[in-house]
Amino acid sequence: MLKIDPSSAESAALARQFKAAPFGPYSADLQKMLQLLRWGFARGRTIIVCTVPYKEWHLGRMGPVRGMKVEIDQSQTFSDYGSAVWACFRARFAEVTGQPCPVQ
Amino acid sequence: MSERILGYTDRLSAVPGDVVGFKVSAPLKGKFKARLVRLICGDDSPEGPGLKLEKIDSAIDGSYPARQQRIMAGSYVWVTARAPFDLQNFTVQAMVWPTVPGNGKPQAILGNYDAASGSGYALYIDEQGCLAFRAGNNAPVSTGVKLLSRHWYEVYAIFDAGTGRVTLGHNMMLAYHGVAGSVSQTFTLPDPVGEGGRFLISAWNDDKFATAHYNGKIDSPRVSARALKTTEIERLRDLPLDVELAQHVVAAWDFSRGISTVKVTDVSGNRHHGRSINLPTRAMTGWNWDSSGFDFRSRPEHYGAIHFHDDDLYDCGWRTDFSFEVPEGLKSGIYCAQIWQKDGKGNKTEDFVPFFVRPPRGTATASLALLIPTASYLAYANHQMISSWWFEELSSCKFATMSETDRYLEEHESFGLSVYDEHNDGSGVCYSSHLRPILNMRPKTDLWQFNADTHLTDWLEKLRISYDVITDDDLHAEGVECLKPYRCVMTGTHPEYYSKQMLDALQAYTNGGGRLMYMGANGFYWRIAYHPGLPGVIEHRRAEDGMRAWFSEAGENFMSFTGEMSGLWVRNGRPPNTLVGNAFAAQGFVNAVPYHRTDASRDPRAAFIFEGLGEEPIGDFGTVGGGAAGWEIDRADARLGTPPHALIVAAATDFPDSYHWVNEEMNHTHSAVNGETNPRVRCDMMFFETPNGGAVFSTGSISYGGSLAHNGYKNNVSRLTENVVRRFVDPTPF
Repeated sequence: MLKIDPSSAESAALARQFKAAPFGPYSADLQKMLQLLRWGFARGRTIIVCTVPYKEWHLGRMGPVRGMKVEIDQSQTFSDYGSAVWACFRARFAEVTGQPCPVQ
Repeated sequence: MSERILGYTDRLSAVPGDVVGFKVSAPLKGKFKARLVRLICGDDSPEGPGLKLEKIDSAIDGSYPARQQRIMAGSYVWVTARAPFDLQNFTVQAMVWPTVPGNGKPQAILGNYDAASGSGYALYIDEQGCLAFRAGNNAPVSTGVKLLSRHWYEVYAIFDAGTGRVTLGHNMMLAYHGVAGSVSQTFTLPDPVGEGGRFLISAWNDDKFATAHYNGKIDSPRVSARALKTTEIERLRDLPLDVELAQHVVAAWDFSRGISTVKVTDVSGNRHHGRSINLPTRAMTGWNWDSSGFDFRSRPEHYGAIHFHDDDLYDCGWRTDFSFEVPEGLKSGIYCAQIWQKDGKGNKTEDFVPFFVRPPRGTATASLALLIPTASYLAYANHQMISSWWFEELSSCKFATMSETDRYLEEHESFGLSVYDEHNDGSGVCYSSHLRPILNMRPKTDLWQFNADTHLTDWLEKLRISYDVITDDDLHAEGVECLKPYRCVMTGTHPEYYSKQMLDALQAYTNGGGRLMYMGANGFYWRIAYHPGLPGVIEHRRAEDGMRAWFSEAGENFMSFTGEMSGLWVRNGRPPNTLVGNAFAAQGFVNAVPYHRTDASRDPRAAFIFEGLGEEPIGDFGTVGGGAAGWEIDRADARLGTPPHALIVAAATDFPDSYHWVNEEMNHTHSAVNGETNPRVRCDMMFFETPNGGAVFSTGSISYGGSLAHNGYKNNVSRLTENVVRRFVDPTPF
């Protein structure tokens, strides 16, 4: 099965492609990478939380079960959704590969 | 998040003279305010038409004492009689299929234990997942052997008051190598049991409340007024009861009786009947189900189980804070009680509690009826797909993004779930009611179902097209009679869930000369049932096939409310194509695209549709994905019943790979499953005539309504739709 090599030039190129167009269209290789980053339950992983409708987003994380506070990452505030999506991509990249995303 | 003011009504649909009761929980002390508004548009997004409310002077305007009202989720059985279970020597036993043993909470199976007074007894599963027993103020005792989830066990506790000895044990119904099939241990309890509280199954008492809810199935619970021998337990497993032991049996409940009700029947002869609270799931396969029958009506003896969940919720049971009697002459439409409070800093908490006003039964104030899909609103009520679906991001092709509503529901687990969700134990949710605050049936929420449908009311108001509203609840209860006063019926954007009564009524309407405008997609897809007696609740089973949030378990495809097979209408022999020409083809939620006219659009029969339009793309704009064709899309298929004379007047085919083909058409997995590679991922706009001068127009797209308001309502989607409405309300037969 395909694995993301976090230090490869190909992975960096795909990350740059996503940053440039977070809502697509995506190349076939980027689509595969996204499927690996998105496989499985969102609980416990980095997600996006809209904190002011249409105006403000943060990264966040659901607790281990329903009924618990959603953890909000206050270190970054996004005023456009695309920036939040890119930040979520980077966080997921790190969670899945164990290495930071090579693209800032 | 801060606590919100929230409310619900005791009915969704009302006619003049009906009284709507509003139940409110207000978190701030003091008072809350209320006023009546007519909702025209709920889309407050920057790209949308904006929130549009019309203030209506009414008697509900004013301030009301604020109070917080609790939600007590979790299902159980309450046995009315108490005294017969205040026993000296006794045996309690049941067949159980626990789903989350060891979830860190006690899960009561049966007994009259009251935690508040520390009296009574209970057989339960302890925090570690082991069979346990507690009585009075004695320390709990446990087998120390963890039960396996989703396995059948016979469990029991035998108590002898004379010695204070309790024998606790289980017998596993499935043998595994190296696993002890039977466990039995004896303990001594020094202190008295006490009289306990109510006798409950799947919970125990905490004063007047029920707590320690169990998750999983329970079958064949029994109470005997004797300390049985362990060898005698098995003899009470089946019905009829063992003749020799029956004389000692205080209660033997048979959950296969009265499956469509909330009644729980004691067949011991002592009539210690009970009733279920919060609608645990019935018509569940029991410990003895052997696949010889799949319908509980054909093999009731195999359906003696009820599946209980600690997050089941039917009716919050809140007290009424104010009522509204619908006056004669009030315009039919979507109304809300707008309720709000402010704290000392001026921070406001606000809710809009919707209900639908129709004209007096049998009458109409317009030629057009907007059929509000309340059954589908219930199906999605308070959905939590972000946490329920392991495949949610792969389906939507987006990273999970929580709205304020999603977050509030995630942080407050007691509002009940939708049929898109799984319970805390991973089993699918079969029931959904409106007797609770439904946070996503509100203006200013996601453009899906209720709020997306206000694009239609907004457009009708803007174009000054008169309309009445009627609801699925009315359609189910009254059938075609509630449609007959109208020349044309317009659906919502996603009328997905239909009972047989509703489908029959719409089919009779179009066959009888009525005109139907299907303004969405993925409609008439799933089969549901309304409860024949309980108000405001639907049932659905994710049977066999389709774009399923979860799978029904084997043998559990038939609905407890009615005994009908659930699942897809196409698998019930009623493809949506036979009603509206179209059926669900694909879904994708990244973008939407325009339609393009086909050669068939030049057919003289379709000329009225395209008056004033040219050859340009139709709907290359919109607030739901940026196009008129998208989100969920339908296509024609003659093999599924699209009428042979149907005209596909426009089509959209340029869908990206984020659009995924419906799996009920995929007999075998393969790689061509998305918009880039699968020609069946398409959206058809369709027109055809029906018998007796009627007609059907199908948009085949959920996004369609989001295009109507573009450019100040001056656009080709709006014009085309207006052309159809004007012709469809014209009495001239097709």
